[in-house]
Amino acid sequence: MATPATIVASQPIAPEQASLWSDAWRKLRRNRLALAGAIYLTFVVAVALTALVYTPYPMAKVGVGIPYTGPSPEHLLGVDTIGRDVLSRLMVGAQVSLLVGVGTQLVVLAIGVPIGLGAGYFRGWFDQVMTFVINLFYGVPNLLVALILVFLLGPSLTNIIVAIASTGWMDMARLVRGQTLSLRERDFIEASRASGARPAKILFGHVLPNALGPIIVQATFGVPAAILFEAFMSFLGLGVPPPMPSWGSMAADGIVAIRIAAYMVVAPALALSLTLMAFNFVGDGLRDALDPRQRR
Amino acid sequence: MASPILQVKDLRTEFTTHDGVVRAVDGVSFDLYPGESLGIVGESGSGKSVTALSLLRLVPSPGRVVGGQVLFHNDDLLQLSDEDMREIRGRDIAMIFQDPQSSLNPVLRTGFQIAEAMLAHQRATRAQSLRRAVELLKRVRIPAAESRARDYPHQLSGGMRQRAMIAMGLANAPAILIADEPTTALDVTVQAQILELLADLNQELGAAVVMITHNMGVVAGLCTRVIVMYAGKIVEQGPVEQIFENPQHPYTWSLLKSIPRVDSLRHERLRSIEGIAPDLLRPPRGCRFHPRCPFRVEKCFSEEPSLKEVKPDQLASCWVTMDRARAEMGADTLLDIRPGAASGVHPGELVD
Repeated sequence: MATPATIVASQPIAPEQASLWSDAWRKLRRNRLALAGAIYLTFVVAVALTALVYTPYPMAKVGVGIPYTGPSPEHLLGVDTIGRDVLSRLMVGAQVSLLVGVGTQLVVLAIGVPIGLGAGYFRGWFDQVMTFVINLFYGVPNLLVALILVFLLGPSLTNIIVAIASTGWMDMARLVRGQTLSLRERDFIEASRASGARPAKILFGHVLPNALGPIIVQATFGVPAAILFEAFMSFLGLGVPPPMPSWGSMAADGIVAIRIAAYMVVAPALALSLTLMAFNFVGDGLRDALDPRQRR
Repeated sequence: MASPILQVKDLRTEFTTHDGVVRAVDGVSFDLYPGESLGIVGESGSGKSVTALSLLRLVPSPGRVVGGQVLFHNDDLLQLSDEDMREIRGRDIAMIFQDPQSSLNPVLRTGFQIAEAMLAHQRATRAQSLRRAVELLKRVRIPAAESRARDYPHQLSGGMRQRAMIAMGLANAPAILIADEPTTALDVTVQAQILELLADLNQELGAAVVMITHNMGVVAGLCTRVIVMYAGKIVEQGPVEQIFENPQHPYTWSLLKSIPRVDSLRHERLRSIEGIAPDLLRPPRGCRFHPRCPFRVEKCFSEEPSLKEVKPDQLASCWVTMDRARAEMGADTLLDIRPGAASGVHPGELVD
């Protein structure tokens, strides 16, 4: 019964290249910088999680060491201006940065994706209104919007996330709108409509999965931007309220002593830079991996 | 004959463009009977695809249906609410598109996409739908259906993808299956298989098939009745054998003449229809085919013919008809098929 013909027919002719995602994962693993970035980020996440249960010293406790003393076996990254352990604060700062970075992008996704999908798919008045609002937000300086919001809402972690997201959702909305505009003309959307699918099903079941690649890349690049924004606001004194440490506010605290105790600025600045770089490497890697035109 | 399952009456679809209004479908009427297989043929731009899309109210913007009726079970589909119309699509009237490469969602598994067509109408649970998707894949004769259902579209060949599209169309056992050039993107041997499959399914399931094509061979192989469209209008309709045997509209005659024949002599030139399809922004006055018609008479330049019965069951819209062209203009032995060649009527000689 098993003639050669049936054997050939039951074997896929194409090699096991499975889905877009496993293909992307394969390419991502081969990208050394992205891999290094991902490993570093895993380390940062581990540090942030560790800080939930353990820090060498309580991060807010004053006088655990002599102020302005540099790195030593007791205080690996030294002691800050009022005698708090820098390493402990750096570890908790990682929590803040990750929360702000990821939290902001979640808010951005929650706002930008539905708006982009709706505007791109339904066109008409909704699209016109949204395009106008997006342009309006682009017209106002980001920092101004964020600062005003923090002033109005009061400085807290949640409010900072809201403030940063309110300056960053337009890029996501615009990207998703553009993707939707091109996807809605594709034949499989037409075919889905012809089989009686509801608009919501078409949007979230067909358009969104096809736009997921660019959305993920955009969100990955958005995380370091949000972290940097938060650091910047904290540096200006409008970030997370003390004694909660943020890499930005730690740098701001240390800047007064930069000539005599540079480690106070260097430690948070280095942590910040490495994290931003790692996110950008991973973002670049994802962009290459998820681009179907770059099949290697 | 049984009563029609679908009655299209004076359907009109227009596209509003910067240059003016294009009447892509201009007063098309026809009946579709249960279980029959109806071919709609015509050149690119003749309005055959737009007619099909109009039936399902899927005409892309800036086009819209501006008039007529589409009666299905005594409901005018053009008057239904969007939600009622959505329920009709895929459940009662399904459509298969031209290009199987792009008509399946690349990021979803094939079986899941077929199951979705059932889930859209709450026909079954998710698990049942997925099981039935595999059955449907078997029914459209995809080998190793269980594993194919788990494949992504890019892992299937063109023919298999079109089979999967047909399976999707059949998911809800529709009364009408509209196939818009389902074989155009496939190579010839696969075309034949797909046509055979459609013919079998038409027989087995009793669904009426509307086959939209520019290929007369496809019509001959699959359909029992045919509608010939030209420039947004029906120019001829009737039973397939009758029309192939004895076309009455010069356009149908030219189309049939232009099919290359295996038994033709080498030195015979391939016949094409002279001229190009008319610009629908400014359709010609009178009969729309007159600028390309070898048999035109004076009347064709000024008065538009309407569809009339020329033989039992056969309608044509022509002032001359091929019977007269044969008898008076020697159509059967005609070599020169340039416009006006047989009748000797040219616009310059007309005195207005």
